[in-house]
Amino acid sequence: MNERTDVDTRKRLPDGQIEALEKAFRTLSAAPTLMDQATRLRDVLGGYFPGDTVSLYRRTGMEWESLGVRVDGTVPHLPSADGDAATVSALEGGKVSIVQKLADRSQIGVVLVRGGRGTPYAETDLVTLRLFLTLFDNAFRELVARRNEKELIFSLNHRVLQLNSLIDTGIEVSKLSGSAPPHHLALERAASLTNASSGVLRVSRGGRTEEEGWFPHGGAPEGAGSRGGGISTAFDFGGETYKFQLFDKESRSGIIPFDETDQLLLDALSRQVHASLENLYLHQEALEKQKIEQDIAVAASIQQRILPKTLPGIDGYDIAGVNIPSKSVGGDYYDCIPLPDGRFAMVIADVAGKGVPAALLVSSFHAYLTAYLEAALPLVDLAVRLNRVIARASTEDKFITAFFALLTPSSGALETVSAGHNPVFLRHTDGTLRELSLGGIPLGMLDMDFPYQSESLTLGKGERLLLYTDGIPEATDGRQRLYEADFPLKEFVSRHVPVRAETFIHELIADVKKFTGPAPQNDDITALYLLKH
Amino acid sequence: MEQPFSLTSEVRENRLIITTSGYVNNVGGEAIAAEFARHFEQGTRHIVINLGQSRVVNSVGMSFLIEIIERLQDAGGKLVFTDLDPAVEKMLSIMGLFQYAGKEKTVGDALLSFHEAGKPGP
Repeated sequence: MNERTDVDTRKRLPDGQIEALEKAFRTLSAAPTLMDQATRLRDVLGGYFPGDTVSLYRRTGMEWESLGVRVDGTVPHLPSADGDAATVSALEGGKVSIVQKLADRSQIGVVLVRGGRGTPYAETDLVTLRLFLTLFDNAFRELVARRNEKELIFSLNHRVLQLNSLIDTGIEVSKLSGSAPPHHLALERAASLTNASSGVLRVSRGGRTEEEGWFPHGGAPEGAGSRGGGISTAFDFGGETYKFQLFDKESRSGIIPFDETDQLLLDALSRQVHASLENLYLHQEALEKQKIEQDIAVAASIQQRILPKTLPGIDGYDIAGVNIPSKSVGGDYYDCIPLPDGRFAMVIADVAGKGVPAALLVSSFHAYLTAYLEAALPLVDLAVRLNRVIARASTEDKFITAFFALLTPSSGALETVSAGHNPVFLRHTDGTLRELSLGGIPLGMLDMDFPYQSESLTLGKGERLLLYTDGIPEATDGRQRLYEADFPLKEFVSRHVPVRAETFIHELIADVKKFTGPAPQNDDITALYLLKH
Repeated sequence: MEQPFSLTSEVRENRLIITTSGYVNNVGGEAIAAEFARHFEQGTRHIVINLGQSRVVNSVGMSFLIEIIERLQDAGGKLVFTDLDPAVEKMLSIMGLFQYAGKEKTVGDALLSFHEAGKPGP
């Protein structure tokens, strides 16, 4: 039977004992762990009760467990502590036990056994023992407080780390020239910030996985997600689904469930990757646009070299032309080329389409045209050959409408061929117009020797010829009304008869611009005007 | 992408040099702590941890590193990290590890720092 003894701690302590207690408290407080504290308590008690055996026990649940040297191989029966004060009990065989409740609700028990044939423990010994246990309790409270403080600091630092890493990762994944793909970096960061054991990113299209990357590298760890479950998030971009999954949140005490913060972090990192991919896409698009603009600038430069800077002077005639492309590179062409036999070839052409492909086709057209003119081919043969080579040089949707006129200046003789082009207006001196449109199909429309017809006429004094592309009659204003609808070109040609060809061109362009106003020009505008003095 | 964890160690002039590779997580931290403890019990008090091949460290892994630092502090020893990836260096800095542990560019620099500090190996 245990005999319980209540001890009055208010009794006066022997001289020098206070100092011993202070020293003991310092010793106990300096211990970094409970085990170390227990070892130190055993040493302190061993020093205070020399020759006695000190055994320490701890109870965290129902059972007592040894914390060090025991009297024998068994754990003795120890009472539970009542309240916060130490409970001292006398045990059988001259032993004494003391039990103290600790700050973490566990209990520590000390069993002292007199060594040799020592006297039984006096009441003052029991008071001292109780004081030592109270000191131990206080030292343990300090230890717990220090541990809690460290855990709090660690936790706060970790939160700062998470926020900082979130910002850094956002910056890194948004770097367009980063060495690692942004989604791989984000997976790494998400795993480390949430203490996940592993993670995976799957990119799938139409339910089929196109890319799979594990963290750590090396494929799915055995039993990933089976111990502590996982969290996931996903987004869609460019027809693909990016899905991030994290598995098995680690802690020092084993695998624990992921919490809301982990999900928030994963979602945030996933959103950063999404934004980064969108930015990368827009950046690439801008680069492509820039490259196209550079190509267009080069093509425009070539185009400008093809179009005539000035037109040749023709004795007894005045000639002027204009080309206003709707984009940087146009699909219109005009020229007046002097031929070795004294004749002049007036040409106007319009490629279906605009931009670089149209400019390239114009360039081919110009090269073939000049070659065939030098070969002095009859105009209809020239058209047949041009039709064939343009058909072979262009795609199916590309063709050229053109009008050719060979002028013999001395006689005013004019031979014309239209390859599906707008009718050319010949203005007689009385103001009446004749439309010249005989010829054949547009060039390049059919890859065959399609026959062309020509018509011949003689220009009289004061007669005028206007060659133009459809950019003039089809010019539109802000309400998409056609210039031709309100101001028929024929009427303009009939009514305007300035002395100089250049004046006519200026007036025509001014009239068109007056009609269209600030509306964007949607087609190239090209015209060639000849008048015979 | 980061590799699974592994480590190697060597003792030079009674200084323990642990070189890690891969994710320093619970598994990695335990392995480092076990390797440290084995040598600590034999009296080694100056430790170099080369994290050059570890670009990712989680907080569980860091808690093991902090314990090592604390044990060395109590025993008058010192830990120096080397070959740190900038991201890892920032992590350890935010977590306050460099208040009590050193960092050097290379293992050679770390060993030299022990000499300069006038702390020859025990």
